[in-house]
Amino acid sequence: MLEERTILLEISDLTARVAGKEILNGVNLTVNAGEVHAIMGPNGSGKSTLAQVLAGREDYEVTHGSVTFEGRDLLAMRAEERARAGLFLGFQYPVEIPGVNNVYLLKAALNAKRKAAGEPEVDAYDFLALIRQKMKFMQMSETFLTRGVNEGFSGGEKKRNEVLQMLVLEPKLAILDETDSGLDIDALKVVSKGVNSLRDPKRAVVLVTHYQRLLDYVIPDQVHVLSGGRIVKSGDKSLAQELERRGYDWVMGAEVA
Amino acid sequence: MSAALRSFETQWRARTPDALQPIREQAMQRFLKLGLPSPRDETWRYTDLRSLAASSYGEAGCAAQPSDAGTEAGAGATSGHAALTLVDAGQHAATITMRNGCPLLGADLPEINGIEINSIKELYKQDPSYLRRFFESASDADQRRWVLLNTALFIDGLYLKITGAVATPLVIRHLSQGGAAQAAHPRIIIDASPGASATIIEHHVSEGDSAPLSNSNTHIALGKAAQLEHYRVYATGAGATHLDSLDIHQSQDSQCRQFTIALGGGLVRSSLEARLNQPGASLESYSLLVGHEERHVDCVNIVTHAAPNTRSRQTARAIASDVSRVIFNSKVIVNAGANGSDSKQSCRGLLLSPSAEIDTRPQLEIHADEVKCAHGATTGRLDPDMLFYLLSRGLDRETAQSLLVFAFLADVLTGMSVSSARAAIENALISQLPDSQILRNFR
Repeated sequence: MLEERTILLEISDLTARVAGKEILNGVNLTVNAGEVHAIMGPNGSGKSTLAQVLAGREDYEVTHGSVTFEGRDLLAMRAEERARAGLFLGFQYPVEIPGVNNVYLLKAALNAKRKAAGEPEVDAYDFLALIRQKMKFMQMSETFLTRGVNEGFSGGEKKRNEVLQMLVLEPKLAILDETDSGLDIDALKVVSKGVNSLRDPKRAVVLVTHYQRLLDYVIPDQVHVLSGGRIVKSGDKSLAQELERRGYDWVMGAEVA
Repeated sequence: MSAALRSFETQWRARTPDALQPIREQAMQRFLKLGLPSPRDETWRYTDLRSLAASSYGEAGCAAQPSDAGTEAGAGATSGHAALTLVDAGQHAATITMRNGCPLLGADLPEINGIEINSIKELYKQDPSYLRRFFESASDADQRRWVLLNTALFIDGLYLKITGAVATPLVIRHLSQGGAAQAAHPRIIIDASPGASATIIEHHVSEGDSAPLSNSNTHIALGKAAQLEHYRVYATGAGATHLDSLDIHQSQDSQCRQFTIALGGGLVRSSLEARLNQPGASLESYSLLVGHEERHVDCVNIVTHAAPNTRSRQTARAIASDVSRVIFNSKVIVNAGANGSDSKQSCRGLLLSPSAEIDTRPQLEIHADEVKCAHGATTGRLDPDMLFYLLSRGLDRETAQSLLVFAFLADVLTGMSVSSARAAIENALISQLPDSQILRNFR
């Protein structure tokens, strides 16, 4: 089965530390355009660190290895350049920023991306129409328009907002860090619908998750288990189901054996 | 005796006595005896007036100065944020200009339903006793030192008697005009009758590169259930020195919302002393203090709960960049017997440069048993989590930082009910804060 595939993200032997502590210990991962990958693992395995390192958080020090995004050296790019190049991080704990309006942020983000691509700024009227359409799709309340970024949002609203931002920015690569955590079943369905709507042969999604639940709604092409800062096992969607049945001890035990 | 003190005494001796002579004489003698405040004085510990003390000051007169270029109300080239128009044309009841403390009322005295506008000088010529109570200084406290000098030397001022419910704001444009070797002593009295309400905006601007030392005082007296929203906006040039004091006296169930906005001025010393004299009086004070370049902004608030069931809120936001210094000292005093007093002091500082300094000192002095007093003060830098969130959405660093700085001020700005004033102050901030060079150097 020889199929022409475009490599979107290639992580080679990546090690990183925060506050002097090694968190990632040689991660290797290749994500092709059109694929959905799930990265699972127990708490403290380095899942969120990997997501933050890829998005360009400066508190994390990359000590070894390389990451390319569409052939470019991702690690040489600043966080804002990565975003404009089409990388999106959905935060596990989206921060509240009172005083900065949601819509203002979205518009500034979209225009930053368009400017980097040599496109003109979005028309104010068209932009509002776009936001309203995406908000409806994500079943979000109109009050969102007038509020500060994530200000006073419930956990579920914050996660919906992350997905809304993703839908407006249409990234090439979306890394969603536990976007499913803290959601009730209805919210989980809405969020999954949002993620699925972005699936496209030119894009890829990396879902970082602790539970298999989300993967019932967003079917992954590949599932990886991160443990001790390394990917210790990879497989198809059945790996997630097996993990759910047998627990993480099973994989971690398997590695030792 | 310092050069400044000597020069003020010389001015005093040259004055022709007027109807207020006994009060002025007493104030001047006390001022000369006490001298200029120094960092040894409690409320002056962060502001050193040595260079001011070494200068001599002449009288900044009422007449248009040469830099005025012949324009009637001094609409010449103003510096700093002086060009700021705080209230849209057509929206405000009137603008009164005070040049170096003298109201330019002319023949066409503005007529506003619910506010009587008078020259203080004209009033005391008619009846010296009428305004007497507003000029008697309660104490020799160091924060009142300059008020004594103002009482002795002010040439004229404005007396505003609010008698009705006035919906549209009245703007007082303080124009500081002349050389730095001069001093002006603007004086305002706002006297609200029981049940009256109004919004008054004092806008301090300067003209040209140098401006006279401004030693201004505003006295607010609120009758029973009167309501006042008062703004004082300092938008003078970087060379200006401004010593401003505000006294607020509140009767039963009166409400005062006060905004102090320091956008400009080289040295700004701003004080607020409020006395909640009767039950039900409520004060909300908002301070927005912006230091940049080499500016020095020193704000002192002293709120006294002198009656039971009184309420005060103080919200301050301070920002300092470059080598500027911003100080916010607030004190709440609850007198014996003022049970049921409810006070909150909140001050947050944001440092945008490693060489800038912010000092905050919330204090409480409680002499009653059943009170609710809270205070908090924090100073820090931009929140790294917020910054990363904005960067991760593709915003450039300068924009992200500016947005966060602006958001930091939101608590004060959202409290303003004069939307046009709020918009104008926001615009002035935007033009000042997102100095990307300042912010870039910070990281």
